[in-house]
Amino acid sequence: MNRSIVILMVVLMLCALSLVAAQQKTRTLYVALERAQTEERRLNQEWLRLEFEQRNLSKSARINEIARKQLQMQAINPARTQYVTVD
Amino acid sequence: MAQISFSSTPNLVLRLPMWRSRLVLFLMFVGFVALVIRAMWVQGFGNSFYEEKGNKATLRSIEMPASRGKILDRNGEVLATSLLAKAIIAFPDAIPDDLPKEKVSELAKLLEMPEAEVRKRMRSERNQVFLKRQVDLEVAKQIRQLGIPGIAQNNEYRRLYPEGEAMAHIVGFTNVEDKGQEGMELAREKDLVGQPGRRRVIQDRLGRYVENLGIISPPRDGADLQLSIDSKVQFLAYNEIKAVAEKHNAKGAGAVVLDVHTGEILALANYPSYNPNSRQNLSGEQLRNRVLTDTFEPGSTMKPFPISLALEKGLVQPNTQMAIGKSLVVGKKAITDTHPYGSLTVAEVVQKSSNIGTVKMAMQLEAQEMWELFQALGFGQAPEIGFPGAVAGRLRPYKNWVPIDQATMSYGYGLSASLFQVARAYSIFARDGELVSTTIYKTDQSPKGVRVISAKTAIQMREMLEMVTQTGGTATGAQTMGYRVGGKTGTAHKVEGKGYAGNKYRGFFVGMAPMSAPRIVVAVMVDEPRSGGYYGGIVAAPAFSNIVAGTLRNMNVLPDAAIKQMVDQEFKSQNIKPAALTGGNNKVATTQ
Repeated sequence: MNRSIVILMVVLMLCALSLVAAQQKTRTLYVALERAQTEERRLNQEWLRLEFEQRNLSKSARINEIARKQLQMQAINPARTQYVTVD
Repeated sequence: MAQISFSSTPNLVLRLPMWRSRLVLFLMFVGFVALVIRAMWVQGFGNSFYEEKGNKATLRSIEMPASRGKILDRNGEVLATSLLAKAIIAFPDAIPDDLPKEKVSELAKLLEMPEAEVRKRMRSERNQVFLKRQVDLEVAKQIRQLGIPGIAQNNEYRRLYPEGEAMAHIVGFTNVEDKGQEGMELAREKDLVGQPGRRRVIQDRLGRYVENLGIISPPRDGADLQLSIDSKVQFLAYNEIKAVAEKHNAKGAGAVVLDVHTGEILALANYPSYNPNSRQNLSGEQLRNRVLTDTFEPGSTMKPFPISLALEKGLVQPNTQMAIGKSLVVGKKAITDTHPYGSLTVAEVVQKSSNIGTVKMAMQLEAQEMWELFQALGFGQAPEIGFPGAVAGRLRPYKNWVPIDQATMSYGYGLSASLFQVARAYSIFARDGELVSTTIYKTDQSPKGVRVISAKTAIQMREMLEMVTQTGGTATGAQTMGYRVGGKTGTAHKVEGKGYAGNKYRGFFVGMAPMSAPRIVVAVMVDEPRSGGYYGGIVAAPAFSNIVAGTLRNMNVLPDAAIKQMVDQEFKSQNIKPAALTGGNNKVATTQ
């Protein structure tokens, strides 16, 4: 009788401790998740910024300007185009 | 002194009344009961006060950010995007009085504001003041490093428009609160706007969120919006009308490019424009998308419609000879042509844009059937393209028409339309008689076409429209290298006050290409050209030609006109040895 009570007491203690441990683990993991999500948001923003920058550098107005002024290029016209058809 | 041993202390001999010990015992019991009750109170029934205290220390309700949707062109290029930025806020009470001067001047330099202004705001009577909004993250970081107490930063978004002025009238812009003010930003505000959410979390003493207690309201990012606009074509069209307006010292200009296969709008350009990235000095006049919101009398660009109806009804054939003469009197008004012609065929009436010839055909039509035709072409009704401010124009009911009305309407006076409406109406010639339903959103579905005239009439009219751009026509300047084009010029007196202004005009050219199988309709309008001519064939047709050439090349449409190949000659003229030409190296394939 007495022995089973002692065993149950020990089991109860272990359960209680594991609960505490689990709680602790949840929180650490949640902190990590939170950090990862913040990072995700930051990277998303970074991606948007880079996408914008890429667009800014590749927009027609800029290409046109550089091609004409810096590279002395001219617009193509059909007479100087060899057309090939894909079939 | 008598010895008192411990065992014989007199206290033990004293016989005290029993109730005294009982009383002590009872008081102790009462004390414990009070403690138990208190404990139960604190932990159980009356703990809301403590719970609140505890929650205050650990529970947080935080915002979950949501961003505004992007606006993309048909190829997925970004036309409008939101980037994170910072609002710099000052709490004047928290700013120390002995703040070093250099810090303020450094702050002012980073904010690009006059130092006096920064100082004034920092000494404001209010609890908090914005020093500057929408500051770059990089700059915000430097400001934080200054470490001035009482200066805080808030997250906000900044809307950016990489295409700038070329696209300004379509995309529109948002205000500093990220709300749409013009264009698509305004029209689709509901879909674009993001809805920030909120959630509850537990925060530990290090400020980390350790547990999620649930979402109060989920965040919803704004939806991205894909337009049918092609940013390359748009840029090209904008540049062309800008060049034309500058060359002819015009008040403004506009152009529409319509893909007649899909009904998609490829470009919608307006000049003068504005830069949507800097919101200062933005006011009424320049913000309007004139192509859609301004109506005018379309002038001669209307002529092909009544003539088509006359052809359709079998009243005339393309080669029917008509006597033209110097003038034609309808009611009290004499109608004249810019050049007098003796006689012309129907095709030549279109080619040379004869008012008299057109009126002669139009007067054989019933007022009602002419009205029905205009109605079917979309005149007098606002086009359904989901753009704010698209106007209907004016088309009076035929019951109020007198003969002179019918006559003038046949050559485009007495009714009004936007450039977009005229462009759309021309789709009946390009699509073998069907009026196309248009859209400003990218679509994979084939558009609805409503038959207005027969395919036979449409093809006959196309031949006449092509003649307009050939020798003897009013718009030889519309000719495009490599592609057969066709269209119609228009030159209209501007209405001023109650009558027509003697020396103020609008020049138009509306046409299509390639004529062997039309793919696009392009309309160009030049408002009040003041130097170098004002006829549509002179001011608008060359811009049409350049826009057509660029757009068709961009769309990979094969040329349908004979071209004299210059590739070989050019290599020769540059003294490139024939060896370099072998092996197909001289072939310049289109890269798209």
